[in-house]
Amino acid sequence: MVNGLPAVTALLPALLFAATGLTLLLVDTIRPDARSNTSMAVVGAIGSLAALAASVWLTASGAVNPDSGAVLLFADAIKVDTMALFFTAIFASVTALVLVAAHDYFHDHDNPAAFYSLVTFAATGMAILAVANSLAVVFVALEMVSLPSYVLVAYLKQNRGSVEAGLKYFLVGALSSAIFLFGISLVYAATGSLILSDIASASIEGLTGVLGVGIVMMIGGVAFKTASVPFHFWAPEAYEGAPAPVSAFLSSASKAAGFVVAFRVFTEAFPIEMAVAANIDWMLAFAILAAVTMTLGNFAAAVQEEVKRMLAYSSIGHAGYALIGVAALTVDGPANGTVMGAAMAHLLVYGFMNTGAFLFVAMAERWGVGRTFADYAGLWRRAPVASVAMAVFMFSLAGLPPFAGFFSKYFLFQAAIDNGFLWLAGLGAINSVVSLYYYSRVVKALFLDDPASPSALDAIDVRPTALYAAVVFAAVATVLLLPGFGPVIETAEAAASALF
Amino acid sequence: MVNAFAYVPAIVLLPFFSFLVALGAGRYLPKGGAFGGIAATAGSFLLSIWVAATVAGGQAYNETLYYWASEGGAGIGPTDIELSFGVLIDPLSALMLVIVTLVALLVHVFSLGYMNDEGETGLPRYYAGLGLFTASMLGFVVADNLLMAFMFFELVGLCSYLLIGFHFREPGPPSAAKKAFLVTRFGDYFFLVGVVAVFATFGTAQFAGPESFPALADAALNGSGSVAWTPGGLDLGTWLTVVGLLVLGGVVGKSAQFPLHTWLPDAMEGPTPVSALIHAATMVAAGVYLVARMYGFYVLTPTTMAVIAFVGGFTALFAATMGVVKDELKQVLAYSTISQYGYMMLALGAGGYVAAVFHLTTHAFFKALLFLGAGSVIIAMHHNEDMWDMGGLKSRLPVTYYTFLAGSLALAGIFPFAGFWSKDEILYEALVHGLNDPLLLGGYLMGLLAVPVTAFYTFRMVFLTFHGEPRSDTARDPEPVGWNVKGPLTVLGSLAVVTGLINMVPVQKVLGLEGIDLLHRWLDNEWGGIEGLSSHHYADIGPYNSGYLVGGEVGTVLVGAAVSLGLALLGLGLARRLYDVPSPTEHTAKLGGVKDVLYNNYYLDELQVWLAHRTEDIAGGADTFDQGIIDGVVNGVSSVSLTGGGRIRKLQSGVVSQYAALLTFGLVALLLVLGATGGWFL
Repeated sequence: MVNGLPAVTALLPALLFAATGLTLLLVDTIRPDARSNTSMAVVGAIGSLAALAASVWLTASGAVNPDSGAVLLFADAIKVDTMALFFTAIFASVTALVLVAAHDYFHDHDNPAAFYSLVTFAATGMAILAVANSLAVVFVALEMVSLPSYVLVAYLKQNRGSVEAGLKYFLVGALSSAIFLFGISLVYAATGSLILSDIASASIEGLTGVLGVGIVMMIGGVAFKTASVPFHFWAPEAYEGAPAPVSAFLSSASKAAGFVVAFRVFTEAFPIEMAVAANIDWMLAFAILAAVTMTLGNFAAAVQEEVKRMLAYSSIGHAGYALIGVAALTVDGPANGTVMGAAMAHLLVYGFMNTGAFLFVAMAERWGVGRTFADYAGLWRRAPVASVAMAVFMFSLAGLPPFAGFFSKYFLFQAAIDNGFLWLAGLGAINSVVSLYYYSRVVKALFLDDPASPSALDAIDVRPTALYAAVVFAAVATVLLLPGFGPVIETAEAAASALF
Repeated sequence: MVNAFAYVPAIVLLPFFSFLVALGAGRYLPKGGAFGGIAATAGSFLLSIWVAATVAGGQAYNETLYYWASEGGAGIGPTDIELSFGVLIDPLSALMLVIVTLVALLVHVFSLGYMNDEGETGLPRYYAGLGLFTASMLGFVVADNLLMAFMFFELVGLCSYLLIGFHFREPGPPSAAKKAFLVTRFGDYFFLVGVVAVFATFGTAQFAGPESFPALADAALNGSGSVAWTPGGLDLGTWLTVVGLLVLGGVVGKSAQFPLHTWLPDAMEGPTPVSALIHAATMVAAGVYLVARMYGFYVLTPTTMAVIAFVGGFTALFAATMGVVKDELKQVLAYSTISQYGYMMLALGAGGYVAAVFHLTTHAFFKALLFLGAGSVIIAMHHNEDMWDMGGLKSRLPVTYYTFLAGSLALAGIFPFAGFWSKDEILYEALVHGLNDPLLLGGYLMGLLAVPVTAFYTFRMVFLTFHGEPRSDTARDPEPVGWNVKGPLTVLGSLAVVTGLINMVPVQKVLGLEGIDLLHRWLDNEWGGIEGLSSHHYADIGPYNSGYLVGGEVGTVLVGAAVSLGLALLGLGLARRLYDVPSPTEHTAKLGGVKDVLYNNYYLDELQVWLAHRTEDIAGGADTFDQGIIDGVVNGVSSVSLTGGGRIRKLQSGVVSQYAALLTFGLVALLLVLGATGGWFL
């Protein structure tokens, strides 16, 4: 650690998250009846922004960067490097947006306080997941993300849909955690270590099958967290039943948390050379998952009638795109770092545009205009700013220029082609065409369609300031990431290249 | 001392700010934002004067200010292309800055009388349009590379569209605006291809400096350099000709040269001050200015030069003949504008760089004057433009009459008004260079024939409008005009009389007085300038050499001037005989069948409509392809996705135990695939 700071400073973002969550919990414990929705939201948002600032500061000040190397803590169980901070920045941005938006969403909820602390605890888990360098830490952190998530999905206790979604999420999650844990134990059995670098250097003579099965089971755990096929079943129901800010949080931050595991564990614990030499081609597994996931997600999204469910499937489709980052890798591939960096950049852009889209849905739920495409008809007449922001999200998600989503997807596919995965990039392009169809349906409904009845828009009788602010901020970020894409992709590529 | 060149961006930005102000806050400001526009253009004008004075002090400026793509030449294409904004100030652009800002200033002032006092609505939009136009035009003038010029060229076109269609609630203006936009866009399409071709060929689009594309082209043709790319082994000279002609497409469109001139008469649907500023003095000049700007490139290819000269000469005569039969004041002026730009193109094609810039200058002043004079008449006549309803306005509008007369004398080319000097020099250049070149001589003869026609229609207009007896009630009792109309007219009227004095080449040649050809010396970098952008340099690398008639140089000068002046007086005399009578009558019937042809502008509009319909057929084919093949594929993907998606929806049953089963089977399948390929179970 440079600058003469203690090495543990590198954990500052996670510590800030944890401190924020504990503060919120403490206040709620002492005065459970105080309906301090506003102050809770403010404290939570400030804590997240502080974590964001800390991760940006750690990267920018050179305390942690590819040149000075990573910071290792606690007998190598924790490794803070640029990639970890990059992902922490994504988590923190999404958390801040969600917390701000939740203020209006839970305006009439009986006890909103727990919501803020649960989101912050989940974010703490994500921040730890990003720096985990040991499979034990990975598992604990993963559970730390999952457990609050289950509660968050079921947070509307009076709402049958929310409770049902929470239960389903929990059941599928429990099964997936079991599979993941079993996978870890098999890896440990084959290599005798849980530290990623030690796994990579362990001798696995005669135990290839055990290690292989363990790795595939770990892929299953990752697939659950990223909502990839065949572990995606929970996603449409959980996203649909959950409060919309929670859907935003799960589909953006939680998904990115799954990817940080995939990016770090698989490249560090099972380096490509070793995997290929031992005939454990996990890249192929990810390639299959990527292809199936993006196709299934996009094709299913095309037939949905409800906007939130469409976004849920589109989120599965985007998981498929991001999986290209761990699929299109080859031994000494010229673009290994580029393709993974592009996937990271895509997740960052996706964090803003997808969160923004779900928050727009949150706003629609707040207004009570209905859930289907038809219910959104003509919304722009009453809510022009939010509708324009939603159009930005939709076009950016579809990957149309001139929005940031175009660049990240373009770089991702280009890097995949450079690494010889033309088929994967081609499939991604076809899926993007499909996605344009259903994304533009939203825009068409908002701007071109006439409302079903003249009074249909009367429901829009409030201006939820905080939700508006969050949506507009996400839209501005989506647009500004276009000129600002240079530094983002450079940081991401540098961070990813350090893994190879 | 502060450097004037540092303020060049401000010249462009000041009108832009007035655009923003008029757009954003115009409705809260007095006069719809007019004063902001006047202040901004006045500021630009003063700065331009300062810049011109600095150039006169022996300096020039060629700086790239901002790279907006690939600084250092990384990333785009194989030839390290940099895309940038920059400023090029040399004698040519300094002169043009002064002209544009001065005319813009006067037009802003005039608009107070024409728009505000007439109670027009939508004034903020009007002044916003004027401001944006002025800014774009100035940006075009100072552009230091072809791409930047192209971008501002397009902005100028956009403003023209917006202002022609200012009265968008009437049927005529929107249609005229669309026509202007589409026709000029047709030319600009070639221009754009030309810009790309210049980038591909040279890797740069800079106008000036040792690394500029004219310099590289010159070196390559000399054999002392090479270009980055030519298509398919094409001979370099041929390719450069093609590139030159492509860029010329934009010029022909903007400067309303045959066959893309048809938009300009229709553009008269716009407010008259707009016609003065955009469709006479500045925007239409953009085409000619562009040729002058990259003249070092054009002179390298004799074929392009000959095409420019011939098109110019033809347009000059062709447009003049149509002006003879028009009944509306502004229509006559519109055709005269086309014709006069034809002269400038003739000059450029004939190697008369200075002559063209000279005529550009004088024309800007006297044509702006004529349009503003026409505007004043239109105010007085309550927006009736038919000359047959006028007559006798001379005594009722004295200021308008005398300034308009000065402008008309200049336009007709009568000694010693401004137009005489510049037109005479054009014809002289075309003659001396054309004696060795039949195509050029053809251009000269057409230009010469256009002289009496020009004088005829100009004075037909003057006599019908101002002389004789009033032929309608409004003409008997016209509305008086205010200071804001008379002021600009007076300024421009004086300029129309004296501008010719800046370049009295014939006098110098005949009397042997040295040093009175100020414009020649100005453009020859005698005070300040940039290497490779001087008239001398162009003459050195140009394809022409001079031939003289009897009596050598002096004799040729005298004969040429006498012939053109005689022809102009002939036309003037004929107009006087026919129309300077108390109650003139139409004489067009005497033309017989020709009359219909002229009235209908040689049926060119009909031809273009016919061509457009044929293009529509081709476009229809493309549309079928697009609908059938491209959309078919895309729609196919979507319909597949819809049916496929329907199946997936069935998979999502909502039963958790099924999810668990599918999840497990999925994992097992993945395990089997990987295990089988990896041979784990052996």
